[in-house]
Amino acid sequence: MGLQLTSLTTSADANPSVAARIGIGGPVGSGKTALIEALIPVLQTRGVDFAVVTNDLVTKEDAERLRRSGLIDPARVSAVEAGACPHTVIREDPTLNIAAGDTLEATFPGLELILFESGGDNLASTFSLDLVDWWIFVIDVAGGDDIPRKKGPGVMKCDLLVVNKVDLAPYVGVALEPMLAEAQRVRAGKPVIATNARSGLGVDAVADAISAAVLFRS
Amino acid sequence: MLRIDHVLGSRIDPSFSEDLHRLEHRGGVDVVSIPVADLSRRRLLATTRGGRELAIALPRHEKLFDGAVLFIDADKAIVVRAGTERWLRPEPRSIADAIELGYQAGNLHWRVRFEGEALFVALEGRTEDYIARLDELIASRRIGVSIIDQESGESGRREDEAPHVGGHHLHGHGHHHGHDQDH
Repeated sequence: MGLQLTSLTTSADANPSVAARIGIGGPVGSGKTALIEALIPVLQTRGVDFAVVTNDLVTKEDAERLRRSGLIDPARVSAVEAGACPHTVIREDPTLNIAAGDTLEATFPGLELILFESGGDNLASTFSLDLVDWWIFVIDVAGGDDIPRKKGPGVMKCDLLVVNKVDLAPYVGVALEPMLAEAQRVRAGKPVIATNARSGLGVDAVADAISAAVLFRS
Repeated sequence: MLRIDHVLGSRIDPSFSEDLHRLEHRGGVDVVSIPVADLSRRRLLATTRGGRELAIALPRHEKLFDGAVLFIDADKAIVVRAGTERWLRPEPRSIADAIELGYQAGNLHWRVRFEGEALFVALEGRTEDYIARLDELIASRRIGVSIIDQESGESGRREDEAPHVGGHHLHGHGHHHGHDQDH
């Protein structure tokens, strides 16, 4: 089929809201910010033009951590204070996050990707597809190897499940392979990636998944 | 891979319907089936029934819908067909059971819709996972459940094709056949 694209293509400059938007959610302390810190240099190396929106309860802690990291232009990190209900601002009413994304796109024309980090929550948190096109849920082995079989909506519904801190498995009595196998089983084959965000293990695979799903780069 | 940056319009728009009709006669209309749960995504990969890979990247103010025209030229058109949506229909035996069911559905953040006195739960995952959450209500026979497949959207209102499972039959227009009670 020799379909032509002439009438369909639009440059990012012509429309302020065309960047891909992905969510990164998960329980408190599972390593969401650490994963973003590990992804930043990988995405930069790949030439992806991106920015980050962080969500915290009543501070801008995660945004400040990223801004101070020296990894990314601080202006490319925006903070949303979620208040007492971190899942509300990514699911029921994501207006604040949508506005933060729109502001970043207006500030940085040509932006290709915005990462929305949720505030630390529980296994029930999910992202609205009005806010993001695709989302990751991060759990960690130190949270317990029973997390996948508890079938929380975050684990079940996300597009990619990341099991972080795999290096800690021997120290917390977790058998990693059965945990990963169980995660695959409950998710009926939807992808699961094991990472150690501190060492970089698995981070390339996460970047590959993002690139394939929303940037259409293989 | 064909990149789609805009929804051009609806297949029932007068500006498209005539051309689509003409192309249909020549086998020139390709369909991309999108699960209902994915219609809200602005970016996704999809493959048409004709095997064409699409990289869909819409501006945030645009959205996919059943009947959305994604491409059209003199020889070819690509139109979205929303996938069949599955619904769980729990039937409480009493008002008290209905209240408990409503509580459970809200507490679990299930997506629901109402039709008359019935509450329908969208099945966005495995049916057994939803049934398991209602296990006590079902085991004690305080609610019965049935599953309904519903064609969705403007082109999905094909009442004669809507299959019925578990003795119930739901129309796209939101009403029941005369034979929709327990049998």
